[in-house]
Amino acid sequence: MGDGIFSKFKEYSVAEFFKKNRQMLGFSGKVRSLTTIVHEYVTNSLDACSEAGVYPEIEVWLASEGEDKYRVRVKDNGPGIPKSHIGKALGMMLAGTKFNRYMQQRGQQGIGATGCTMYALVTTGQPIRVVSSHDGNMVECEVGIDFRNNKPLINLISEGPAEGGKSGLEVDGVFGEVKYDKSAYGVYEYLRRTAIANPHAAIVFNSPEGERFVFPKSVDELPKKPVEVKPHPLGISAHDLIEKARNAPYQRISSFLQEEFTRVTLNKIRELQEAVPEVDLGKKPSEMGWEDAEKLVAGFRKIKWIAPATDSVVPIGTRQIEKSLSSIISPEFMHVTERAPKIYRGGIPFVVEVGLAYNGKGANGEILRFANRAPLLFDAGGCAITQTIKSIDWKRYGIKSLEEEPLSIFVHFASVHVPYTSAGKQSISDEEEVVDEIRNAVMEAARGLERHLSGKRRTKEMVSKRAAILRYVEQLSVDLAELGGRKAESGKVKERLLKMVEEKYSLGNMGAEEGAGEREKGQSAPEEKEGAEE
Amino acid sequence: MSEKKAMEKLEELGKSMLSQVSEGKSPTFDTPLRSRGNVEFQDGLGYLKLGSKKEERTFLNVSQARTFMQTVAVANKTRKFIAENLHTSIRGLYYQLKFSLGDDVDESLFEEQSESNVLIEDLEVSLGIKREDLHLTTDRKGVVAGPMVVKDNFTGEETTIDCTKQGRSGWMIPSDVDNGMEFVDVGADYVLVVEKDALWQRLNEDRFWKKENCILVTPKGQASRGTRRLLRKLADKKLPVYVMTDCDAWGWYIYWTIKTGSMNLAYLGRDFSIPESRFLGVTMADIEKYDFLKRLTINAKEIDLKRAEEMLSYPWINRHKEWVVELQKVLKTKKKIEQDALQGERLTFVGEYVREKIEKKLWLP
Repeated sequence: MGDGIFSKFKEYSVAEFFKKNRQMLGFSGKVRSLTTIVHEYVTNSLDACSEAGVYPEIEVWLASEGEDKYRVRVKDNGPGIPKSHIGKALGMMLAGTKFNRYMQQRGQQGIGATGCTMYALVTTGQPIRVVSSHDGNMVECEVGIDFRNNKPLINLISEGPAEGGKSGLEVDGVFGEVKYDKSAYGVYEYLRRTAIANPHAAIVFNSPEGERFVFPKSVDELPKKPVEVKPHPLGISAHDLIEKARNAPYQRISSFLQEEFTRVTLNKIRELQEAVPEVDLGKKPSEMGWEDAEKLVAGFRKIKWIAPATDSVVPIGTRQIEKSLSSIISPEFMHVTERAPKIYRGGIPFVVEVGLAYNGKGANGEILRFANRAPLLFDAGGCAITQTIKSIDWKRYGIKSLEEEPLSIFVHFASVHVPYTSAGKQSISDEEEVVDEIRNAVMEAARGLERHLSGKRRTKEMVSKRAAILRYVEQLSVDLAELGGRKAESGKVKERLLKMVEEKYSLGNMGAEEGAGEREKGQSAPEEKEGAEE
Repeated sequence: MSEKKAMEKLEELGKSMLSQVSEGKSPTFDTPLRSRGNVEFQDGLGYLKLGSKKEERTFLNVSQARTFMQTVAVANKTRKFIAENLHTSIRGLYYQLKFSLGDDVDESLFEEQSESNVLIEDLEVSLGIKREDLHLTTDRKGVVAGPMVVKDNFTGEETTIDCTKQGRSGWMIPSDVDNGMEFVDVGADYVLVVEKDALWQRLNEDRFWKKENCILVTPKGQASRGTRRLLRKLADKKLPVYVMTDCDAWGWYIYWTIKTGSMNLAYLGRDFSIPESRFLGVTMADIEKYDFLKRLTINAKEIDLKRAEEMLSYPWINRHKEWVVELQKVLKTKKKIEQDALQGERLTFVGEYVREKIEKKLWLP
């Protein structure tokens, strides 16, 4: 009898826990839930392709299945999943391999594809259909979850050789309590931004209205694979330290620290012991308690460390961002920064990439935020990127009002550890060094834009000046000729005056006319050219 | 005749700009600055004139292109007026030049009369000619009576005007007393200028000009260009010029404008000022001298006092200690008196007053 209560409790608890905490996993609000589902699948596809070293080709279909109900289908050209792993990947909680790996990776939002399966089951009762082509074999099946035992339920539909030997994964499910719209939080915007941050991927979106949007691959270069690196003592929290220590195969905490962290030498261990004499560095890492961990983290901050190496940070790349902005926003002008990695909290390397795209297909004043190539759509107001951009005096850069100018602001934050403000992983916290770097990068790009805008303004002025003078030439020629007693020569006078005006107010003569403009000419010209190329 | 000189100057200007154009240079001319900073007073000359500061006007400068074109248009249009021997007002000129610059251009050569007015001044200054010589008429305001005969050659007809035979209305001074006007006989001993028309009519009824053998003029307030030119010509004939105004800073400033010119119109220079003129009254000293005037004073207003203070600061006025005393009395007593008050006791007192002032040389410089 007791067993029965517990098993029932257990069965309910997984589902109930999920229902009650789904906002934590990204399933809050109908629009956001749909975006989260697409995000989970697309992220998995991008990661899988990246691991396999292929250019991702991802196609997404959305179709309405009644009120607040949508069918989501995502297909990629990745390696697929071997039959034996399908259940684990889509029908079992916490089966991921990404946990506790100290490397730059896309934001893990929610709980991956299993979370989506769960959401489908909870909202429509329908399992997910999966077609996986891996290593020449094709498997089609339905995946559900045995909540009681946290085990996948697999219903095999068909099996056989993969069509044309091609690999890939297709997932297909019907979800309730979701809604599609074209807002900045919707699927379209999510995919557009994903495409911007992943120029090596081709993404196609088939909307519920039957429209087909194609974001083509714009660079012929796969992103550098992020490398797994050891954390720096200044970049770790007490919680992460215990997690790491739990399964560490070392006899002593001191050797655990030396082996598993960067910049920790025997000398530093001695310094650390002096700083925290109450923690026994000779005991087993697995015996490390919460108090020990807190003291160690505090001790780390009392010691001078060499900054960590910054090669763990992988930017998208200036040229790559330029190509993708050209391809997707096709602006009249853009400026993309190329900056060295910086370090925050003394131990975590990061890099900020900023691209300003002026007068293109983006919404006025849109801020495109990304962390490790994943778009951040939600919690914009609480994000250091948004706040920093809004605090900049844009008038200095020739932008009167951000909301009214045709300007898209792209900001990418890349780091092994992204300082998210909350579990939703949709906004970056205002770490001092991070805010400073975002500000400097945005301002650098804004200066480039300012040069372009002032050049444009000068050109416009020149043209309008010429037009203003030209309209007076006719009348002046007649009066001048008559006044000088040579009425018959007014045509000749006019010709000469026209020539003078054309010469003085030709665009090639801009520097000479304006004087002050000369200084900037050399710098702005090549950028202008590149922007116009596309 | 000065209109001939004006014609030559206009053509000269045109020719010089044409040759600039043929050399591939932007057509350009210089004009003296008319700002207050370029107004000078020279002791030896006795009138206000423009200093040597000049500015260049050139077509190939966006901020000047329109006014440059307009100036040349005004020059050419007035050249035609002279050639055709026709006159018009500055408003008439404006309407002559108010036309569209082209079918596809949403702009007129002139939009407002204020635009053309300043360009006329520009031309006067930069060519050293008067607008009257450009066949531009100005409003007439002054009136004359007295022993003076003028031959007026107008529209081909010559009329002889005897200013002793103009009845109660007098002869109205035309806007241009230089072109087509000949002063054949001026037999007067002096010129008396009274600020107000009412006083002029009183003295005319008394046949004051006949008894005194003087030319009686009223500018009716500030003197018009024509009136100032006439006074200049009469002074050139060695006639003393005496001026009577109200006893307040505004009235006195009418005298000073006649005498030295004003800052705003400093570009007119000697042709429009009469440094030889003398001020008969009314003065603050008169109020003390004639008992009956004491009870006829009125309180000076704030603007009267402000004007008095300004006048005290002008070097061409405060160099005369008599005027400093007078102006300071205004500031101290805060009183003023109208010239009409001289009739307070007897209507004929005005004549006696003038006679006594002249005989006893009781004038201010």
